[in-house]
Parts: sequence; structure tokens; C-alpha cells
Amino acid sequence: MPLIGQKKFKYLNKSIPRVDAFNKVTGKTRFVADINLPEMIYGGMLHSLYPHARVKRIDVSKARKIPGVYAILTYKDVKKPKSWAIFMYVTDVARHVGDVVALVAAESPDILDLALKSIEVEYEELPGVFTVDEAMAEDAPILHEGMKSNKFEPSHFKIRKGDVQKGFAESDLIVERDYETSHVEHVYIEPEAVVADPNPNEGAMTVYATSQNPYFTRRWVADILDVNVNQVRIVQPPVGGAFGGKEEAVGLIAARAALLAKITDRPVKIALSREESILESGKRHPFKLHYKAGVTKDGKLKAMECNIISNLGAYNMHQYMNFRTSVHAAGAYEIPNVKVDVFGVFTNNVVSAAMRGYSAPQTIFAVEQFMEEVAEELGMEPLEFKRKNHLKRGSLTATSQKLTAPVILDEIIETVVKKTDYERKHKQYASQNGPIKKGIGLAICFRGCGLGSEMKDSSGSMVTMTEDGSVLINHGLVDQGQGLKTAYSQIVAETLSIPVSNIHFIGVDTHSLPDGGMTVASRGTVMGSQSLKIAAEQVKEMLKRSAAIMLETDKENVELEDAMFYCKDNPEKRIPLRDVCTMHYWTGQQASVYYWFYPPDTNYDMSIGQGDAFPTYAYTCVVAEVEVDTETGFVDVVKVTSAHDVGTAVNPSLIRGQVNGGVAMGQGFAVLEDFVVEKGRVLTQNYDKYIIPTSIDVPDIDVLIFECDDPAGTYGTKSIGEPSTEAMGGAIANAIYNATGRRVRHLPANIEKVLLGKKLLRGGGK
Amino acid sequence: MLRFDYLKAVSIDNACELLSQYSGESRLIAGGTDIMVQIRKDDERLGNMKYIIDIGDVCELSYVESEGNTILIGAGLTHKEACSSALLKENVPFLVEAVNSIGSPQIRNRGTFAGNICNASPASDLIPVLVALDAKLRLKSMSGERVVEIASIFEKPYKTTISPDEMITEISFKKLPAETGTAFVKLGYRKAVTIARMNVAVCVTVEDGVIADARISAGSVMPTPCRITSAEQILKGSRPAENLIESAAKEVSKEMIKRSGYRWSTEYKQPVIEVLTKRALKKALGVE
Repeated sequence: MPLIGQKKFKYLNKSIPRVDAFNKVTGKTRFVADINLPEMIYGGMLHSLYPHARVKRIDVSKARKIPGVYAILTYKDVKKPKSWAIFMYVTDVARHVGDVVALVAAESPDILDLALKSIEVEYEELPGVFTVDEAMAEDAPILHEGMKSNKFEPSHFKIRKGDVQKGFAESDLIVERDYETSHVEHVYIEPEAVVADPNPNEGAMTVYATSQNPYFTRRWVADILDVNVNQVRIVQPPVGGAFGGKEEAVGLIAARAALLAKITDRPVKIALSREESILESGKRHPFKLHYKAGVTKDGKLKAMECNIISNLGAYNMHQYMNFRTSVHAAGAYEIPNVKVDVFGVFTNNVVSAAMRGYSAPQTIFAVEQFMEEVAEELGMEPLEFKRKNHLKRGSLTATSQKLTAPVILDEIIETVVKKTDYERKHKQYASQNGPIKKGIGLAICFRGCGLGSEMKDSSGSMVTMTEDGSVLINHGLVDQGQGLKTAYSQIVAETLSIPVSNIHFIGVDTHSLPDGGMTVASRGTVMGSQSLKIAAEQVKEMLKRSAAIMLETDKENVELEDAMFYCKDNPEKRIPLRDVCTMHYWTGQQASVYYWFYPPDTNYDMSIGQGDAFPTYAYTCVVAEVEVDTETGFVDVVKVTSAHDVGTAVNPSLIRGQVNGGVAMGQGFAVLEDFVVEKGRVLTQNYDKYIIPTSIDVPDIDVLIFECDDPAGTYGTKSIGEPSTEAMGGAIANAIYNATGRRVRHLPANIEKVLLGKKLLRGGGK
Repeated sequence: MLRFDYLKAVSIDNACELLSQYSGESRLIAGGTDIMVQIRKDDERLGNMKYIIDIGDVCELSYVESEGNTILIGAGLTHKEACSSALLKENVPFLVEAVNSIGSPQIRNRGTFAGNICNASPASDLIPVLVALDAKLRLKSMSGERVVEIASIFEKPYKTTISPDEMITEISFKKLPAETGTAFVKLGYRKAVTIARMNVAVCVTVEDGVIADARISAGSVMPTPCRITSAEQILKGSRPAENLIESAAKEVSKEMIKRSGYRWSTEYKQPVIEVLTKRALKKALGVE
């Protein structure tokens, strides 16, 4: 189905304004940092001076004497310094510079600042490991007690399809390449903030948190307070961006604030500064990737082997990121023999964690260049090679999953190629004069929608029709800026056939609904709304009964459209929804349904990475056009055409918004964002040094939205949040090559790397 | 964050009084675009600062005038005001280009000329231009006034020889001869809100087809801002030509290595400062 607009929807496919837009643009929205409770005090953390050190002596006596200081807690004052996960709330052995050696609560931010500075700490520096190679060296110091090496064993994921040795033997050409990527910061506009309120009416603790996963935050708070989960209430006000970053980082500060609140019996706010946010929140994992492929003379891929190691930083709980990596490592190609090994190692760097794409963007950057390098070695046009090998309907993926649903890669690629005049430009740009050289690059990818076989992609929601015909949505997933409130309102509007203005989804309160899992994996719309649709359908059925009585007909003869019930055999006979709801309510009935969606079992063997990894896949093609100043190395990304199979476009405007943001973020990942950690120390702790694209740097963006008929997601939807950014690295790298004839195999492609063809290390790397 | 008291000056004289009274423990603030950042991160450059003296509303510091052959600029002129000055645009277009590339519109609205000079950042976009113009600074204190060459005040990055009780009141420079072309070329990591990785300011006067005068100054290249006279000498007295420009540019990088040493970044900076110099010279000469 070409582009969008051929599906017959009433409320979907419509670019209605975001339901939260007015409050946000007029400054009315109240974020967590805006919440001030009576008697509230301020909490903060003292971070380690060293990336790996033992606290020899910590003297808080001076700080304690400062008037207005309410509490100072060090390792020995906290009953449970280690969290339920591997992370430390407060520690006496710092494993990275974001580790915390003391917690303070004080009357004002100023006093807090003074108190933190008055704490005297004497450290014993410990030898650290910072690169993957250092961490895996035989005599490397081991970061975590009880571990035999720095390898995070549960993060080792494998794919074993066919027999790669046989595949290589049958190949006419074998190509091997190495690639590398760096840390990437989320750069959400709102730094992490929490307010913990020891409110006995609601249990042991209520915490307002900028949480991407409020139920997950609840687990940390219950853990540190050593209370039952039902004693903790997490309320999620609007979140100003998360991209995977507001998971464990928010859990940790929520727990710390809760502990300080419990001890002082005062509400405690912790609002991170940008520097603290950059120190504590997880970054996109830096990857080292080795690729090996075998092809026949006529350009058929026979075998691919990928060995990938990720730099985890000091702590990590995201072993499943490498499930995602393994499934996508071989790219959107059909290859009979595939072997993938991916695992992470602990280092004394800041923590790596989820970051828009969940460790797929790194592999796409590598594999999309790699396929072109293979094609070139073969003497084949890269696009021809990709056309020949990419996934098609009926293909078997690297996990041997048969793609039975539509695979519209062909259509997407050909549309983009034609629209950008890719083939002519690609040929023409290979020979240019002058220092400024143009380049065009293409990347394709596919992305498993939702959690797939990572874990059960289940979630629940409650739809309540009130007595005046307005609807309340309760859902466990959160709007973190991606527009979930709007998308959910449109989905309920479509199901019930009522206007979006009649629907309200306030956000998450963990006391109001069971845990629906995390708002991650671009699962919110495609999978998260499965329960919503069913709950709304059931509400409609309930109301039809009351409507039938009022219309004096059978329930089967009643239909609801545009907030009006009518008789199918006589549409003139009608009654407003509102009247039906009123009657329904006053006759002792509730038009309210809670529904838990539990997806069908998947057939996937984690030990060999074979089976149905995801219910379905979204397909992407991105073409980037650049101008490279070959005398300075400056890469100007001029135009990006980003085409996506979204299944069903719930709100085309919001999709364009997602893609625009994804393109900018991908541009940062590809050419600008250089997160500098030197021996574990972060040198880019604010946006004066960590360079992201400004509105003037962001290219002209052409977003192409494709739909198709795929039954897997709610109303046929697919993921878009992460697909919108993950192909950018590969597309830009290929464009740089087209312009300069030189490959950048280590991101970011900053001015030094593009000019010199290598990374320039500060101080020579000493 | 650093703790300090706030004092407001209502005039230049008043500011000088306060500087004298709190000598050594006070700093001036005008736009605050640098000092506010330093305060926030407890920058050691602020030392034992106890007072901030606000001269942001001293309007006698805000002017651009022409007096005979000289252009006079009040120390408190903001970058934004400079960008909209017809006098500066006409006489020293590269100065306007340079300040227009500083930070963001918000920074340009607040930041002032003297503030930029006193911050003495090696990556300043304004200083290389003023150095190329041989600008003079008028410094005032309770003990009197003195006028110094701008290039003479820089001791090392972020450190000037302006004494703690002195303030810059005026920046002045001679107008350029009519046959002079100017150029400012900057390279940053991105296109806007960017600190110069390197920049170059040049003015070249061509009389009867011969380069009568050339001035070259570059940012983030030399230990302290200065004109690169050995490169200027190569150009002077000759007719503009590709190979001449090439050798002048090479001389700039040679001088950089001679004065700053061969550092980890030189592998990149050497070829690129040559390119930037070439581009600036060509632009000033109108050959490209």
C-alpha cells in the first residue's frame, strides 16, 4: 500500500493536535521539578572524584554542623546500600565517576550545595579498566565481587543459523571489516527529578517522578525502604523526554529521595543539574564490531559472522539489549548462514543503558557500510547488491523467522531512490572537483516491533465511560513526550467512535492500575494499546445494552457512531451517547473495563537465537545527502529522506515529529556527538562541550510514511520511535564515503576523523 | 556555586571607585555571558571573588563613533549592537561577521566587547579581528587612564595584564584604507552556537595591483593573540597570486608550531589553519 491514506478510519490517520500541546507551549504544564510541597527540603548526592576508588575516610562532621542540614548518609549509615539490581544507592567503592559516596538533605539548594562541598573524603585510587580490551585482559582488575571476569555473562546472545563455515566455503569472496561507535547521551530537555513525600495516607511513600517506567521506579523505592510494593505510590507527571534514559537513573534517585524523606520525615526533592544528569544517566553503549561475510560472484550473500562487544560501564541491567542487537546484527538481509555473538563487559566508565534504538543503531551503522564495502569488493553497485539480498515476503530472517506478513522494503527503497535521484547522484558524486564534495548515502533496516521474545509483551488498561459520556483512560505506559496520550486517545476514539476531545488520559499512578511493564522498545502504540482497544470494545458492548433498552430494540440492532447510538435498521431512530451513559449509571451499572492483554507465546530458542523473535517488523530506508569540506573535515548534512513502514499511521503529524527528532538525533550520533571519557572521567558534562545539532545544523527532512496490512499490532500499527533514528549512522557514513572515497568506520565522523581518517586522542591518549 | 555580594555601578567613575575599594576581590559584570558560567562551576579563575560590580546599565559605555580617521567603541557595546552598526558594517565588515558568529542570539544580545576581551579566551571570535586592526584599549582606574595595544594585554589563555582595579572603557582603531579587503573565517564543530576550533581574521590592502599592507591574526592557534607578521611579510610588496597565498598560509602554520609547539592536535590544526588562512586571504582579495 503506497504511502498513507488508503485505510478507512474515522479518527486514526488524522493529524489532530497533541492533546498536551497547549499546556506545554504556554508553559502551564507542571513537571516534577515544578512541584513544591509544604515543608519540602532538598536532597543531593556527592559523586566520586575517581572512576575506581575506595573511600578510606569520609568526614561529614563539618557539613553536619551547617544550620539547615537535615541528614547526611554515607555507606555505613544506609542499611541497604546496594539496590535490588547491581547498582549502588551509596557506596564505599566507587566504580565510576557517577557513583555516590554520600547523600544529603538540606533546607535549601544553597545549603545543600554548601554541605556537599563540606564533606571531606579521602580516597584510595584503584586501578581501572576503561576500554573493552583493558577489561578483558588476563590480569585486569575485576569490578564486581563474585565475578570471574568483567564479562557480563547473561548479556551474551547468540545466533546460529545454518553453518557459517560451510557458507564461507561456498563463497567466492570473503570480506572482513571492523567498526566502532561511541557513547551517546540522550539530551532530553528535562533533567531527572523526583519529589518523595512520606505521606502515610497513601502508604509508606509517595514519589512524583520523571519516570519512563513508574512501576519500575516503585521497585527501587520499596527496595530501599524495605517495605512491600503496595506501600509505595509513584505518580508520573508529564515527562520531558526519556529515550530510554529515565529508567534506572530515575529509580536510583527516587529511592535516595525516599530514604532521605523517611529519615527526615519531610518531603524531599532531588532535581539533577545537567552535569549530574549526564554523569548518572546511561548512555548508548559504545560498540566494537567485527563483521565477516561470504558472497558468491553473482552477489548472493552466503554467510555472515558478527562478533560484537559492548562497553557496559560500571553497572548494567540491560542484558536484553543484546538480544535486540543479535536479531538485527545481520541487517535487513536474507542470509542462509549466520553466526552472531554479542556480549558486554564492565568497565570503570559511566553507565551504558537503553538509548533510543536499544543497541540496534550501532549494528545498522556497521552492517549498512559493510554491505556496501562487500559490494564494492565484488565490483557491484551497492544498491544492486542490497536489492538482491534484502528481506522479502517469505524470507527467513537471521533467526529463521519466516516473514509471512507484508515486507514492503522494495516499495520503500524504490520510492526513496526515485525521489532523491539517488542512482544518478551516487554515480556523479564519485568524481568531483573542488574542496567541498557532495555525497549521497543509503541505509535500510528492519526493526522488531515491541518486546517480542525478549519478554512477554503484555500490558493492561482500563477504559471508563463516565455518566456524561466522557472517557477516562488508565494505562500503565507513559507519555514521555512521544505523544502516547494523543495516540491512545485516537485509538479509543476510533474504537468507540467518539471525539478525541471527550477522552482524557491523565498519566500513570501506580496505585490505580497493575504494572503494565515499561514504556520501551517502541511498544507503546503497537502493543501497549492492544488492551485499550479490547477494553473500549467491551465498554461499547455494555452501553449497547442500555442503548437498546432506550431505543426499544435488540442490542444487535444498535450501533454507536460519532457519539450517537442509532438503530441499524432505522438510522433516524437515535439517542445521544451522553443520555445512554446517564441512564446506564443511574441504573447501577458501570461502563468500565479493565483488560489485560497477554500475547501468544513465541517460539524462540535463546541459546541459539532461532525462532520467531518478534511478532512483526517495521521497515525503513533512509537516504542522507551531505557536503563534506575535504580540507577541514566538516560534514554538513544537507538533506535526509526518511521513509518508514508504520503499518497504520495513527497520527501522521506526530509520526513526522518523531522522525524529525530521530533524524536530528541520528545526525548527532553520526557526525557531532562526541562523548569524551578520558580514563573514566567525563569531559563533556554539559552542552558547551557535548555538541548536538542545532536547528541550523539539522538538514532539510523529507518524511515518507508508508502503510501496509499487517495484523500484528493494534489497528495494524508498527513501531516508529526507534526506527526513526537507527538508520541514520549508516546512511550518513555511506554518504561521506560517496563524497570523499574514504570510509569512516568509527563514529562520530567529526572533523578530525573525516580529515585525518583516524581518531585524534586528546593529549595523544596519554 | 560561588557566593558573593552584588554592587551596582551607575557610572564609569563610580565603577572605578568600587573597583578601587574592593580591589582584588571584585569582578565587573556587564552581559555576564562568561562570568555567570564561571560562577556556576566555581571556576578557579575567579579566585577569591567576593563582589560583583554590575556595569550593565552604565550607558556611557555603549557607543560606536567615528572621530576623524578613528573608530571608537564603548566597552559595553553588545555584539548585537555591533551587528546592527552601519558604521562598523561599512568600515570593518569582518568585525561584524566575527561578532555575528559568537554564540547564540541570546548571547549576542547580552555579551559585550570588553567582556569578550577580558575573558581572554583563546577561541574568542572578536579578539583576532581587533588584533588585526591594531586596536587600542583605554583603561581607567582611580589612579588615572592609560591606552594600550590590545595584543599587549594577553598574558596567557584567560589571563590579561589589566590590573584588578582597572576597567576597559573604550576600544579604538584606525579606519582601514579604502582599497582594503577584510575577511573572517571560522571553523567550529557545528554551524551555529559554536566555539571556534580555529578562526582567522585578515585585512589586505592592495594598491596599484600590489599588496601594500596585510594583517593576519588567528584564534586558537597562538599562545596569545598576535599578528603573524612573518606571514604578512610574505604578502607585502607582491601581486596577489595563488602561490603567494599558499606560502603565507604555510607560514602561519609554521609560526603556530614554532610558538605553540607540536601538540596532540597539531596533526589536524596544521593543514586546517593553512586552509582557513588561504580562504580568508582569497576572500579578502576577492579572488574567490
